[in-house]
Amino acid sequence: MLATDSVLLHETDPVPVRETDPVPLHETVSERKRRFERLVLPHFDAAYNLARWLTRNDHDAQDVVQEAVLRAYRFFDGLRGEARPWLLSIVRNSFLTWLQANRPADTVGFDDGFIELIPTDEDGPDVLAARNFDRKMLNEAIAGLPLQFREALILRELEDLSYKDIARITDVPIGTVMSRLARARRLLAESLGATPNISGKQVHK
Amino acid sequence: MTREEANRLLHAYIDGELDPAKTLELEAHLAENPSVRAACERLREMSAAIRDKADYHAAPAWLEARVRAAIPSGPENVSARWWRWLKPAGAVATDWLRPAASFAAVALVTWVVALGYMRPNEDERITQEVLASHVRATLSNRSYDVASSDQHTVKPWLSARLAFSPPVADLSASGFDLVGGRLDYIGAQPVAVLVYKRRAHLIDVFVWPVEAQKTEQPLARDGFNIERFAKNGMGFWLVSDLNRNELDDFARLLAAAT
Repeated sequence: MLATDSVLLHETDPVPVRETDPVPLHETVSERKRRFERLVLPHFDAAYNLARWLTRNDHDAQDVVQEAVLRAYRFFDGLRGEARPWLLSIVRNSFLTWLQANRPADTVGFDDGFIELIPTDEDGPDVLAARNFDRKMLNEAIAGLPLQFREALILRELEDLSYKDIARITDVPIGTVMSRLARARRLLAESLGATPNISGKQVHK
Repeated sequence: MTREEANRLLHAYIDGELDPAKTLELEAHLAENPSVRAACERLREMSAAIRDKADYHAAPAWLEARVRAAIPSGPENVSARWWRWLKPAGAVATDWLRPAASFAAVALVTWVVALGYMRPNEDERITQEVLASHVRATLSNRSYDVASSDQHTVKPWLSARLAFSPPVADLSASGFDLVGGRLDYIGAQPVAVLVYKRRAHLIDVFVWPVEAQKTEQPLARDGFNIERFAKNGMGFWLVSDLNRNELDDFARLLAAAT
């Protein structure tokens, strides 16, 4: 989308091939497990937080996280670079598998190219003064966002991940991450009662 | 810079993701436009409010304990020490070994059950993933990241981004034109996808290193044909809406050229 006139950092970087630690040559199973516990399990809360925001309930989040971590262990040798984004991408995959099995109707439209956004003026920053946000309302509003906007927002604001990491986790170009975040914040402001012309600016054509 | 562009870039700006040149341009625009500056401030406040007020769901401690226990501890630990638990209870060690023994037993059973569960599903999961990738790429018109009919362009592009070098065959003489390649993430690992074209049909060839050398039965899912084979340490999954016979031919040619 923005590939031709890149304005974002790292947008045109090649995907790096990085090694965290070289995998030890003669690693016993228990050493491997310990290494997994040391590198990956510190991010258990992050995995749960993402799963919880995606599934929107504790019970399903528990299933998704358990599946994801066991899957991560099986594919541990595939870990390149940082463990947290790697684990989160597995959580997201496990979630999609779970969604397909349990809520096939919800998968319609998700990751669907047709609703991919072209950033417009509509996604401008006319958002409500944030001091007015009530905690409960805010949480409900985020939970009410469509999946692809919700996940981008959670990864950005709660996990503080870079666009580059979010792009890799959600399997979209970096420019799309930016437009999804813009749309997420816009939708959030709307559902919290902000109106586009609250700032006195003109309503969009 | 137009107001539209400034508004669009504000998100990347407050997220610290704008490149330096655009940042300077935007900051100059902000200095001249109080209303955009105010909008920028509100955006920052909103971001801060989400960070401050949105729930961060920490995992319950029991869940982490349960998952830790479910991670296979491996057979060698167990085989090295199992006899200790069968020793007569005379030793001091017995009391603390007993919970350890039952823990290990539970872990072992979980592991065995988990293996039984996961093995047969592995293929199915990969089938779903390659199919989803193919459909997603077709729907979004984003079938390839590097567009080239030249195998000597596609191969280095992929090799530079992966930990392996996928074989790229030129089959244009047989009517299968290489159109490009892309990267994807299948079975929790980055894989190469070669995109070929036969008339109006796109064929995605997913490639990643495997150990087993075997050819599997062709599959059909949701109107797509799927072929799988492994050769020279690489696994190939072919997905296309091309008819079964032609896809078979393609798989044979590809295997021969690899």
